[in-house]
Formats: sequence, C-alpha cells, structure tokens
Amino acid sequence: MTQQEEPTVKSRPMVGPLEGIPLPDLEKLPDYERGFWEASHNRELRIQRCSDCKVFRHLPGPMCPHCHSLDYDWSKVSGQGVVYSFIIVRNPVHAAIREKDQVPYNVCLVELVEQQGLRVCSNVLNIAPEDIYIDMPVHVTFIPTADEPDVVLPLFVPT
Amino acid sequence: MTITPAEMNGIRDKAAIVGIGETEFSWDSGRSELQLACEAIKAACDDAGISPHQIDGLVRYEMDSNNETLLVQSLGIQNLRHWECVSFGGGAGNAVVGHAAAAVAAGFCNYVVCFRAANLRSNVRLGQARGPDRIAAGQTAFATPWGNMAPAHQFGLFVRRYMHMSGATSQNFGWVAVTLREHASRNPRALRKDPITLDDHQNSRMVADPLHLLDICQENDGAAAIVLTTPDRAKDLRHADTLTLVEAAAQGSGPQNEGIIYRPDLAVAESVNTARDLWARARLGPSDMDALMFYDHFTPFCLLNLEAYGFVPFGEAKDFVEGGHNIRFDGMLPTNTHGGNHSEAYIHGLTHTQEAVRLIRGTSTAQPPNKTINRVLSCSSVAQLSAAVIVRRG
Repeated sequence: MTQQEEPTVKSRPMVGPLEGIPLPDLEKLPDYERGFWEASHNRELRIQRCSDCKVFRHLPGPMCPHCHSLDYDWSKVSGQGVVYSFIIVRNPVHAAIREKDQVPYNVCLVELVEQQGLRVCSNVLNIAPEDIYIDMPVHVTFIPTADEPDVVLPLFVPT
Repeated sequence: MTITPAEMNGIRDKAAIVGIGETEFSWDSGRSELQLACEAIKAACDDAGISPHQIDGLVRYEMDSNNETLLVQSLGIQNLRHWECVSFGGGAGNAVVGHAAAAVAAGFCNYVVCFRAANLRSNVRLGQARGPDRIAAGQTAFATPWGNMAPAHQFGLFVRRYMHMSGATSQNFGWVAVTLREHASRNPRALRKDPITLDDHQNSRMVADPLHLLDICQENDGAAAIVLTTPDRAKDLRHADTLTLVEAAAQGSGPQNEGIIYRPDLAVAESVNTARDLWARARLGPSDMDALMFYDHFTPFCLLNLEAYGFVPFGEAKDFVEGGHNIRFDGMLPTNTHGGNHSEAYIHGLTHTQEAVRLIRGTSTAQPPNKTINRVLSCSSVAQLSAAVIVRRG
C-alpha cells in the first residue's frame, strides 16, 4: 500500500502565533512554571534543569523525577532542535480559530538538541505545513502574542 | 520493573458479569445524565435478574457527573457497602470492571455496578476546545497557546510518530474504519450503520492530519452499565447457563504520561506495561484469545493494541489489518464486533466489555460463525493510562 499522494496545492505558512485562543495567566503560574515564560519574554529559551543531577525536564515541575531534588535552575538552551512529530490542524475546534480563518495551522513537537527526549510543543513558521517532515532541523524564534503582548511564544523556523 | 507474579492474580474467576444494560445512543438524549445512569443501571439489573435495591457496590468513572449519593437516592439502594471511582475517561474503561471484580473477590459487596452516563454531544463535547480565556497553569499552558487543544491534536502527534516508526499509512487505519462500520451495520444500537469504503475513509475530511474524520470516535449521549457478583450468586440469576467470569485484569501508566505527548517513545503505547502484567496474571497469551475489544478512540490505536498486547510484532499490525479480513467478525481475531467507539457509540469503553459478554453468551449481532467464543480480551492503549480485562466462559 502506498502513501497518500502529496497534495498539489500547498497551504499558506504560519508567520506568527495563533490569535484569540487561551493563553497562560502569568500572574497565577507556580514558580516552577514561570521561569519558562519570563525567559521567553526576554527572547530566551530556558528549560528547567535540576541543580543537582543536571537533567533537563519539560513539562516543568516542582521535583526532579530522576533524583527527587527540589532545586532547579532555568538553563538557557541553544534553541536548536528537530521536528519529532507534527500535525496539520484543518478542523477548527475553537471559535477564534474558526472566526479568524486560522486553519490550517501546524502543531510541532520539537526535540531539543540538549537532551534526548527533551521536547517542547510549538509551531513551525515560514513553511507550508505540507513541507514539514519528521527530523527536520529547526531553531527557535520569539514573537509576542497579539492578544497579550507580555506573553511571548517560543516558535521555530526551519534551519 | 518487576513482573507481577502470576500467583498474585487474586481475582481469578471470583467474579461473574451477570448483567449488561444501556440506554439508546443518540446525539441529543433530551434528559439528564442522572436519568441516563438510572435507566442503564436498571436495564443491567433487569438483564441480571436482580432489583436495583440489591446493589451494594458502585464503581464509577471520575469524569461521571453522577455521584454515589445521587444514585443511592435515585435507585433506592438500601446500603452502599463499597464505592470507588477510577480516574479519567478512556483510561477508566475496563479498569472499572477490574476494580468491581476485586471488590466482589474481597467480599466488600455482593452486587456491584459499573456505569458511565454522559451527554457528550448535547452537553460538553470533549473534541472541542473549552475553558477560560486565561490558563492558570499546568500542561495546557504548554500546549494550548500553540493550538494543541483537542484530543485529536495530542493523539495525532502520537499517530504521526507511530506512522513514521512503523511504516503504517492512513489506508491501514482506513481498513479498521471500514471493518468496524461493517460490524456496526449489523448492530441496531449503533449510531452509524451506513457501510463505508476505503475511498470514503480516504476522502473524509482531514481533521488533524494524519487523522481523517473517519478515524475518530463518535461524540454522543448515552449510558451503559454492568453488574457483577460472585459466581455462586450468579448460578441463581438469569444467565446461570452461560456464566461470564473475570479471569484477569491489569492497569498501567508507563512513565511521563502527563500531557500525553512527552512520553519517552511516542510510537509505543503505555499499554505494553499493562499487557505484560495482564498476561503474567492470567498465565495466558495472545493465542488464547478468541476475540478482541479494543478501545478505539482513534482507529490507529487498534494497530497499537495489536502490537502492545503481542498479537503481532511491532510494525506488523499494518499488514494484519490490511483488507480487514483478520479483524472481521468471521476472521482470525474478531475485533470490536459491536462497531466500537468508531461506529456504535462512545461510552468510554464500557460498551466494549458489554460486547465481550455478548460474545461469550453468543448474542452479538456480529457473532463469529462456526466458532465458540471462550475468551475475550477487552483493553485500551490510550497513550496515557490504560487498562485491560480478560473474560471467559464459566
């Protein structure tokens, strides 16, 4: 059985964050999540890292799941990674996606070069979603959301 | 991780499923979730040949809106001796049956009911994004801002990786859809009865590429219930001639399951852990199963189940399901003979255990011809928390 034929008409690339969808309330985040967003606000990708065993973790959390230390820091990473998996969302499941005609868009799981299995959820910009592939090299960029300029999203572009 | 010793299977043959019942399945039930629960539980008690007054145990889904006091009140339960609720939706399917069997085996209660009742279409739809304008904290804060906000998105990321590693294609998933719909076409309870072709599947709307509309389960209203008791009591009830015994049960999470998409390997489901424990406890293997009930929230997970539970090696499920012959009701491993979540109804997996009971009793609308069904595996690979149960002819 062969793969589906490649679509002949490619969709428009994403150029920035989606609009009108729920964003984190920076005031209400626990300390062990806030560092990610503070770094992003400063145009840096920082990932939570155990101060004792030095293992990165994402999702962030209060305790190191490897050595159970409660001490961590927000370690700046290179922002280099590869696409581990991705989807192309074509059916809008949120009113703002529908009303602002924001489909299709992609959701990517980017594996960062710093540690095997260290992945963040994001979007890949400046590429037709049909051209995204697993293991595609990408690097980070930062763009404020239109709805809450204090919330800056780490996004990725093809390397 | 230590394998659970087979001799630790403390529930083996100590509980019987004596009653199954459900409401009609619909897009708009027009009544409360409490009423749906009452109707399904009464139907299951009628099937068993007991009165709801005799119920003294309840095992419910954490997601269910009907709590214990509401049901004691509404069903006229005289004294609830035991109650539990199992977390999540799909992850609680089959698990509630295992918990109920354990409660009976421990002597905590005599007649225990598992149920799930919900208006998942006319009320809150799980497939639509919802919630407040701002996210307080947690895994959604690291997913929703990028548009990852529905089960089809999270599981789509899982499926894309699975396709990459296994070589499975959308057409392979299509054969699951076609076969389950064929089963549903024979089932008067089913919501979707019109047969479909592989082309229909391939041409169905792309929801979250790689998932087509016809890869995704229904969103519907309805309720289902199951009654269990001891095998001794079962011999005095309506289905005494064909007992359905719970032989083994297992649950598993694997590591790193919060948010689904951060698991160590997104091509392998957490249910490999569940499967290992289940087979050890049952002292059985895949070749001992006569039919399969797979939690099919998305069609690719039928392939993942075939591999996780060891029916075929990793990467070979795509060939096993090709053409649908092996998983048809008259095939080597009849799978979801009721039509599953895909085409019968989505009641968070409880309908799968019900269909396993029908196969043992010989009353499925897609009963395998020329084959006695002695054992059925009902299980899930949810990519987060999974559960499994083996039922056998008593």
